[in-house]
Amino acid sequence: MSEQKKTFVVTRFDPDRDPAPRQQTYEVPVQPDWKVLDALNYIKDEIDGTLSHRWSCRMAVCGSCGMMVNGKPSLTCKDSLADYGSRVEVAPLSNFPIVRDLVVELEGFLEKLKAVKPFILKEKERALAEGTHRQSPEQLEEFRQFSYCINCMLCYAACPVVANEPEFLGPAAIALGHRYNMDSRDEGQHERNEIFRGEGTVFSCSYANECSEVCPKHVDPAAAINQAKFNAVIDWLAGFVTSRGGK
Amino acid sequence: MARPVHPHAMAASRPGRTRTAPPQAASGWYAQPRMLRYLLFDATGILYLIAGFGVLRALWALGSGEEAWQAFLDRLHSPLYLAFHALALVCVVFVAVRFFRLFPKAQPAHIGPAKPPPQPVILAGLYAAWIGVTLVVSLILAGWIF
Repeated sequence: MSEQKKTFVVTRFDPDRDPAPRQQTYEVPVQPDWKVLDALNYIKDEIDGTLSHRWSCRMAVCGSCGMMVNGKPSLTCKDSLADYGSRVEVAPLSNFPIVRDLVVELEGFLEKLKAVKPFILKEKERALAEGTHRQSPEQLEEFRQFSYCINCMLCYAACPVVANEPEFLGPAAIALGHRYNMDSRDEGQHERNEIFRGEGTVFSCSYANECSEVCPKHVDPAAAINQAKFNAVIDWLAGFVTSRGGK
Repeated sequence: MARPVHPHAMAASRPGRTRTAPPQAASGWYAQPRMLRYLLFDATGILYLIAGFGVLRALWALGSGEEAWQAFLDRLHSPLYLAFHALALVCVVFVAVRFFRLFPKAQPAHIGPAKPPPQPVILAGLYAAWIGVTLVVSLILAGWIF
């Protein structure tokens, strides 16, 4: 296969030396079948071993290699280099603090994920003797799409609300919370809807739809957030006619 | 243009062990087609604000007597007013099409036992309602009904 040279402009940041992120240029001989991640690995292995970037599975499953490529959030193991011109700009994900080079700080994201209680909540655990939880294909279909999230955080890099409201839970976390709210085995809907009615949650979303545009797994977080808005309001109204008394 | 990222965006509640650089926006974020579309969508709000003042102005003229009302109607024929209303029409169509595209998927999976119709049906219903309302308003303005 024929080789082609591309210029990579990569954001670099060393917390011990650099006062602010800077850009460094590399000339990379690329193969026609390469993904963006292949070029970054080439830079790391052959040109500059000090470059730091995250990656793992190379098959769009682990969600580790999300970066900005030519200004767009991209899963670099999935995006083909053939789709880009001779100059490719690679930067860390927008809207995240930068730890080093292309590596961003994950702690804030993990805190937001945790906040929506992303697990099955039961009022009372089912006894083993009662057997397994049964779920019909129709019940599965109600949340299946939202369970495909790989936590790549591209949606956070694309979201204009995340950029401006630090307290906003964000697309992936809300989609995950909604996924459990739609699960027929779960009994934590009211608990999560109370969280969703709080500040910086579903009602902060302006439905820009950017999260869904960039999602590599077609989870459609924008749909999840806007469905969650409806459910949060219905849950609040239900409180007036049930024993919860408006709670 | 100012960089649009809040310095504490996606920051952890407690600082980590290593120093981090503040979050950045993508270079040329405002020129990206996807962001440009969203910014244009948001910017249409300014036109609606101006149009709202126009309605108040019309009410004021109406309450100020026949002469003032006629003067207001005459002004509506000026090229500036015509250009503004043409632009407002384009914006309204743009916002409506965007809203129609996003509305179906925002519907809840079910309300009690009732499920919403398939998304293409909702979309077709929205366009049918739009065409229907436009037709009725056109007939009223043309004096064919009422």
